[in-house]
Amino acid sequence: MLANALPTLVFYLLAAISLTLAWSVVTGRRILRAAVSLMGVLAASAGLYLLLDSPFLAGVQVLVYVGGIVVLLVFAVMLTRTTELLEDHPSRHRQVIGGAVALAFFGLSYCMMTAPAFANRALTALPKNDVAAIGRALLDTGENGYALPFEVVSLLLLAAMIGGIVIARKPAALVKSEAHHG
Amino acid sequence: MSWQVKTIAQRTGDLLPGSPWTAALYVLLTILAVTAFVTVAGLVLIYAERKIAAHFQCRVGPMRVGWHGVLQSIADAIKLLMKEDIVPRDADALLHILAPVLSFAGMLLVMIALPMSPSLQVADMNIGVLYVTAVSGLGVLGILLGGWSSNNKWSLLGAMRAGAQIISYEVSATLALLVVVLFAGTLQLSGIVQSQDTGWWIWRAHGCGLVAFAIFMIAGTAEINRTPFDLAEGESELTAGFHTEYSGLRFSFFFLSEFLNMFVLAAMASTLFLGGWMPLHIGHFAALNGVMDLLPPGLWFALKTTAIIFLIMWFRWTFPRLRVDQLMRLEWKILLPIGFVNLFVSAACVVTGFYFFAR
Repeated sequence: MLANALPTLVFYLLAAISLTLAWSVVTGRRILRAAVSLMGVLAASAGLYLLLDSPFLAGVQVLVYVGGIVVLLVFAVMLTRTTELLEDHPSRHRQVIGGAVALAFFGLSYCMMTAPAFANRALTALPKNDVAAIGRALLDTGENGYALPFEVVSLLLLAAMIGGIVIARKPAALVKSEAHHG
Repeated sequence: MSWQVKTIAQRTGDLLPGSPWTAALYVLLTILAVTAFVTVAGLVLIYAERKIAAHFQCRVGPMRVGWHGVLQSIADAIKLLMKEDIVPRDADALLHILAPVLSFAGMLLVMIALPMSPSLQVADMNIGVLYVTAVSGLGVLGILLGGWSSNNKWSLLGAMRAGAQIISYEVSATLALLVVVLFAGTLQLSGIVQSQDTGWWIWRAHGCGLVAFAIFMIAGTAEINRTPFDLAEGESELTAGFHTEYSGLRFSFFFLSEFLNMFVLAAMASTLFLGGWMPLHIGHFAALNGVMDLLPPGLWFALKTTAIIFLIMWFRWTFPRLRVDQLMRLEWKILLPIGFVNLFVSAACVVTGFYFFAR
């Protein structure tokens, strides 16, 4: 009995942590504290993946989001001046757009959750869940493979990387003048 | 000879259906044991660092507290515990307190995945290598937050340097890890150790292992912020970097996690490249393998890890500190291309089975 109750207990604990921290991300006035709360939310979702028997997904979640995205976010905050980031009264324009996006996302999620095709999916046999199987599926060009999305995503990442380098690069004229002045 | 791996997590799992309270006690004891290990290992490492540094400089190091100063670390620890714990007035108190905890947690979470011997490993995850890479990212966050929340320009600069450095070198370290994952064919740490029972990956892979080991050691030393990559702390430039404003217990948390990260790095390097707890085996030479098996696996792990820790301490007194631009050039223009080429060559070796004692 205890062994069955444990996952349920852990689920509610993780859900409560996620919701509390997500609330503090949105309402917090200090941007860096919000970033730390966001890290908590993302780590709690990794915990939820673990409950769903997907350790690989949980590991990737921590690696990419906690170790990558949040660190970059904190880095960006540290590079900018903090006073400009305290925004107590967002403009009406932003409020309207924000509300619309939130509403649209809620509507979309609701439709997805209640769609019968999606609901039945959970009852059928789950595909084999280990790293080797995920790797094969990603590079499978067959009917159930994900080779095309995988390649599209890598192309997108490559484009983003080149874009980042181009933006960060000094203009040629500046480099020349610096070399001239020693 | 086949090895039976039984982790502490598995033992607890076996106990859970019959006697949940015994299992809970088991978990409690494990937590206590890990904490005790971390503390004692930290004290030993600090003593070793001071003694080795001293002898490299033809000094004798601490000599007064106990025989040859063996109790010096304990005296220092007591001193740190009794110091006043200061949070600067204009600091973000919550983040200031959280930062060392994050840093410590990152180290502790890696610690539980390390295979120290077939019977001594807290948890053996299928995604071992991925897990280690993922949770060690928490350490960076602790350093960044610590530097920012101190509200001090030195700390902020140190934290920024540390962040940029750790993020950059993580790429090379991961590429080096992937080489071993390719050869071993598994992400599980105990599986990687067991894949080395005909020889360690450092020499079985026709040079790929050696190159990967060198990259891993360089990138790892940079990730744990040790000389020659200690720009983040550089006493002479930044007065101590991100932990300038820390004192007492919180400072010791940062300090302890820094030293134990060295242990974690050494343990990972020995697990991946030097066979971890696997004795020195060469192919199927039964006589040699039999002699090597006389030493228990735990001792092999300890010996290899100690040797690598000594190597890291040796670096400190061999190389001068790099400049920021040299640091970035080394990573992006030298280590990263070598790492990529090495990964391709290793993949070719694995596909064609062109390595020693391929199965």
